[in-house]
Amino acid sequence: MARDPKHDILFEPIKIGPKTMKNRFYQVPHCNGFGSEKPFSQAFFRAGKAEGGFGGVATEYCSISPESDDTHRMSARLWDDDDIKNLSLMCDMLHEYDCLAAAELWYGGPHAPCMESRCVARAPSQIPSDFEYLTYAIEADKDDIRYLQQLYVDAAKRARTAGFDIVYVYGSHSYLPQQFLTPFYNKRTDEYGGSFENRARFWRETIEKVKEAVGDDTAIAVRMSTDMFLGEPGTQLKRDCLPFVELVDHLVDVWDINLSGIAEWGEDATPSRFYEQGRALPWQAAVKEISKKPVLGVGRWTNPDAMSDAIHEGKLDIIATCRPSTSDPFLPKKIEEGRLDDIRECIGCNVCISRWEIGGPPLICTQNATAGEEYRRAWHPEKFTTAKNADNDVLVVGAGPAGMECAMVLGKRGMRRVHLVESADDMGGTMRWIPQLPGLGEWARLVNYRKIQLDKLKNVEFIPSTTLAPEDVAGYGAEIVVVATGSYWATDGLNGASHDVIPGADASLAWQATPDQLMGEGKTLAGDSVLVFDNDGYFMGVSISEKLALEGKKVTLMTPLGHVAPYMHFTLEAPNMHRRLHSLGVEIVPYHLPSRLEKGGVVATHVYDEHGAERTWDVDGVVLVSQRRSNERLFRSLKDDIGLEALKAEGVDALYRIGDCEAPRLIADAVFSGHRLAREIDSPDPSVPLPFRRERRVIDPDFVASERAWHESAMAGTA
Amino acid sequence: MRTVVCIKQVRTLGDEVEFTDDGRDVDPDYVDLALNEWDSFATEEALQLKERLGGEVVVVTCGPEESEAALRRCLAMGADRAVRIEGVAAHDPIGVAHALAEVVRDEEPDLVLCGVQSSDSVQAATGTALAELVELPRVAVVTRLEPGDGKATAHRELEGGLVDVVEVDLPAVLTIQTGINQPRYANLRAIKQAEQVEITVRQAASAPAASRVRRMFVPPRGEGAEMLGTDPGEVARRIADLVKERTA
Amino acid sequence: MSVLVVTEHLQGTVRDVTRELVTAGRPLGPVAVAVIARDPGPLAAAVDVEGVEEIVTVAAGADEFEGDTYQQALEALIESRRPRVVLLGFTVNAMSYAAAVAAKLGLGYASDVHGVALEGEAVIATRSFYAGKVSAELEFPGAETVLLLLRPTTWPPAEGTGGAAVSSLAVEVAPPRARHVEFTEPAATGDVDITQADVLLSIGRGIGDADAIAQFEGLAAKMGATLSVSRPIVDAGWMPASRQVGQSGKTVKPKVYLAFGISGAVQHLAGMKASGTIVAVNTDPEASIFGVAHYGAVVDLFDVAEELEKLY
Repeated sequence: MARDPKHDILFEPIKIGPKTMKNRFYQVPHCNGFGSEKPFSQAFFRAGKAEGGFGGVATEYCSISPESDDTHRMSARLWDDDDIKNLSLMCDMLHEYDCLAAAELWYGGPHAPCMESRCVARAPSQIPSDFEYLTYAIEADKDDIRYLQQLYVDAAKRARTAGFDIVYVYGSHSYLPQQFLTPFYNKRTDEYGGSFENRARFWRETIEKVKEAVGDDTAIAVRMSTDMFLGEPGTQLKRDCLPFVELVDHLVDVWDINLSGIAEWGEDATPSRFYEQGRALPWQAAVKEISKKPVLGVGRWTNPDAMSDAIHEGKLDIIATCRPSTSDPFLPKKIEEGRLDDIRECIGCNVCISRWEIGGPPLICTQNATAGEEYRRAWHPEKFTTAKNADNDVLVVGAGPAGMECAMVLGKRGMRRVHLVESADDMGGTMRWIPQLPGLGEWARLVNYRKIQLDKLKNVEFIPSTTLAPEDVAGYGAEIVVVATGSYWATDGLNGASHDVIPGADASLAWQATPDQLMGEGKTLAGDSVLVFDNDGYFMGVSISEKLALEGKKVTLMTPLGHVAPYMHFTLEAPNMHRRLHSLGVEIVPYHLPSRLEKGGVVATHVYDEHGAERTWDVDGVVLVSQRRSNERLFRSLKDDIGLEALKAEGVDALYRIGDCEAPRLIADAVFSGHRLAREIDSPDPSVPLPFRRERRVIDPDFVASERAWHESAMAGTA
Repeated sequence: MRTVVCIKQVRTLGDEVEFTDDGRDVDPDYVDLALNEWDSFATEEALQLKERLGGEVVVVTCGPEESEAALRRCLAMGADRAVRIEGVAAHDPIGVAHALAEVVRDEEPDLVLCGVQSSDSVQAATGTALAELVELPRVAVVTRLEPGDGKATAHRELEGGLVDVVEVDLPAVLTIQTGINQPRYANLRAIKQAEQVEITVRQAASAPAASRVRRMFVPPRGEGAEMLGTDPGEVARRIADLVKERTA
Repeated sequence: MSVLVVTEHLQGTVRDVTRELVTAGRPLGPVAVAVIARDPGPLAAAVDVEGVEEIVTVAAGADEFEGDTYQQALEALIESRRPRVVLLGFTVNAMSYAAAVAAKLGLGYASDVHGVALEGEAVIATRSFYAGKVSAELEFPGAETVLLLLRPTTWPPAEGTGGAAVSSLAVEVAPPRARHVEFTEPAATGDVDITQADVLLSIGRGIGDADAIAQFEGLAAKMGATLSVSRPIVDAGWMPASRQVGQSGKTVKPKVYLAFGISGAVQHLAGMKASGTIVAVNTDPEASIFGVAHYGAVVDLFDVAEELEKLY
């Protein structure tokens, strides 16, 4: 298959200062949880994109000083020469693919709480962060300013030594240089505050100094947020950014243009729930109009036609992606080879970002189970070894996310025959109706991609509209049986707060329902008002509330937690979700747990009320989003009623279960579960995951001796 | 009741099309093979009749050795015996009908079912020609079948949804339309068992060709549509404008 | 080098395809049109279009089509007139007898033909194979008479009057072994006639499932369009067959045909490609429908549907 000529422009090289990037595909700085302290995970993660055809790949935000320490969140670090060594692996591996490496030099100011280093940051003015409200910074004087600028210079030199082709003076998302530029953060009255020239001074001087230090052979990138949506005092496109572009354009080799501050950076890393791809294009185009240098920008780009259009229309020079490059590192190669239906498109769920926001865990991806596993499990998204036990037939019962993924990978690993059997008339499981919740349409890409891939696999057959009883499974003729029957929402109010059912909760009654019933079975609740009881913690409660409110119901959303849908804070969906619920008149009632349900009313108590005082909400209907339960029946029948011995006698050598039917989990984890089993189907005991490689320091006696010697001398002041 | 079902293993092309040296057909290395969709409905219909009335189902195909995979799919569904006829030129439905006629005659069936057409040739001719060669009554494009005593009632689906209810004397040849039933799946056990069944192979006696491919080629693509872009709002506006203009 | 066209009629009306066959046959030689029915007279006038030199009536069989009757009538016509080319439409009725005639008399034969020409004495027919991905030229060496079933709507129907001479042929026809009993509409719902609509909003497999039907019905109503469907929707039982556009459905020629989520299988295209303006919306840029559409968009059809709703 050949590349569509429409997309040729995406493969034209482009000069970035002293460097040349081989095409227009660039992975803009983004977090992955690996930093400098997991150098192999870091390097293999980034190199995977280079192998997939990206012309440039950046680190995540890369701290230039212990004063810029974002622990618990993971950043890269270039504090000393050992950090150089660790990050140089990433550069070397990128260069193997003729891919440019970029380091996003970062100083967080008051947004970085320095919980590991115990240093204190410096900032233009002393106001606590709008992101980390307990953190104060030192109000910088002139000496501090020189010191800060020197940090950038030193870090840039280290970056160049490590092998980076591009270094950033990074301001976006309200980091140091942009704090000086923005009145919201900069209340100074000296020559570094007030007028535009003054506010721009710090950033301009820093760029000049970095350019002077490394600009001969290293490209200088500036990442700027062109609108913080903070009103008058926030960064404004016309007042602050376009003049800044004009001011320093001659110094900059490439502009990285995005949006938003730090507190609501979901306006930049836009969830598909609220924004289409290419959201920032008008701002990027505005910069492109006045700059003489290349402009790149993100926009959750997944459509190659839209990418080409953006460049042809003169709005961008380089298509930058983070999330789409994680859901499919081989995006550029697939476009080049004209294999557009093989592209695993980002669904914009932001589960990847949620891991960084939580602080600590490596990123994961709902669409791409290999994201983050490139090194530690040696999983390649496009390469699959033939299973050692490929000469077997497999039955996968249930074509939800876990079943589809498992069948697909088993097919790619060459199993003799794989039958994916589903009782509904099509694939998807709950992912057939979840994308029908308001705003979640792009999530259907999870199913669409797998449908296409499964259809291409000659050794995989999809059999719909077929419900298998345990005897049918036993007698199916498969040597390996994988049960992937998913989960259902509890119909009795069982929940993690009370660890009990709710008296009166019964979704078989006409005035109560679970999400499955409303969305998957078309059940409707009569009446004008409904109470949604939500102890799930993620999106189901709020999405159902939104849907019912859009249908005209008066919705009360009750949760025993202090916040509804707390996980959506991590996916950056919370602010807009709350705006939406608020505009729809949804009444949120936190800290309340129903004590019983009666027709026409929910009786609940405040969780911190020591007297257990009850209050009644009069509602026509109730939706129970209390918790999920595994659909265990089939697996239990096979294992307990028929038994593994009897199964063996019928030719079933192995029985596994994956996904929600084992334990309910995130969609990303269900997909991972199916993927892992298939990758390890030929291991000695596939039911137990193989150990993954851990990047840790394992001490040996020599090392213990040398460390103890150092410690002694440090104590004595002689180190 | 013995039902003979005539099936075809059909080809689908990928994006790359290569032709044979003589330019009369596509290169078989670039095709995917599958049981013709219409024939799975025909086989299912035969199996349902067998479940109701007893007897056996025999599947027959004209094709090279790889077409046995299609026969085995029908065996896995529940057919009892399979016959493959080789030495038949492709693309000539009348020639295929001649080859099938020999086997069908020998089987002395109570009913012969074919698919209305094959997805790769769409001639919709083989079943009708076969009926003539074995001198049996025929009904084409059947969407419902109720066999009775010496006769059957068949629904024939005309263009536009109108249904022609026909009474036909049995034995007869019927060509079966998609949607008449829900073809059953075959589980792995049945597929494995079908692998073991011995398939009778017969040579076709030669027959006159009713047509011959002189040249096969990729047709030149038309001008193509004027594309309206990728923004749904813009596309919707253009559509609304077009509708307004063209119905003024 | 004469051409014989066999009339296709239903419930007293001659179908358009017959007149298309006249257009196709004229370049090959003088065209005679046969009308086979219990009482062919009233139908003869409808086939007397420009380009027809002769009309031959065969009074035989029942009012409605029966394959055995047509087979015997056609065999007699061929025997008596020895035409070089016999043209039928590629229709359900023709599928019931044409190949039988070809097998019995050893004629040249091809169906679903969309091109026919003479090269000297030889008849060359062009048809597609492999879901329309390739075309092929067929020859019929040694065949005195070639029987071709032509794809409907490929040629424009002949119009006007031909002033043809009318004759009749007496044919002894044995009682048919498959007999017409009655017509029924399958689960008729007092439904709309999609062939009369000016604007059709047509939906296919791309809509996903039955739940979307209501949405598109609503949209069609708002737009003043009629909802039609491709075959998979009917097969799944979501809409009645009377709404189906395609070879086995209805042939439509609305002023505007909006195809949402329809890939453009050949059978479907045959039913709509004569439409005035065709707009196709499909997420698959390779969909065959783009080959016949005048306008296209590779976008999510639900997104466009949502936007369209806002405009009406």
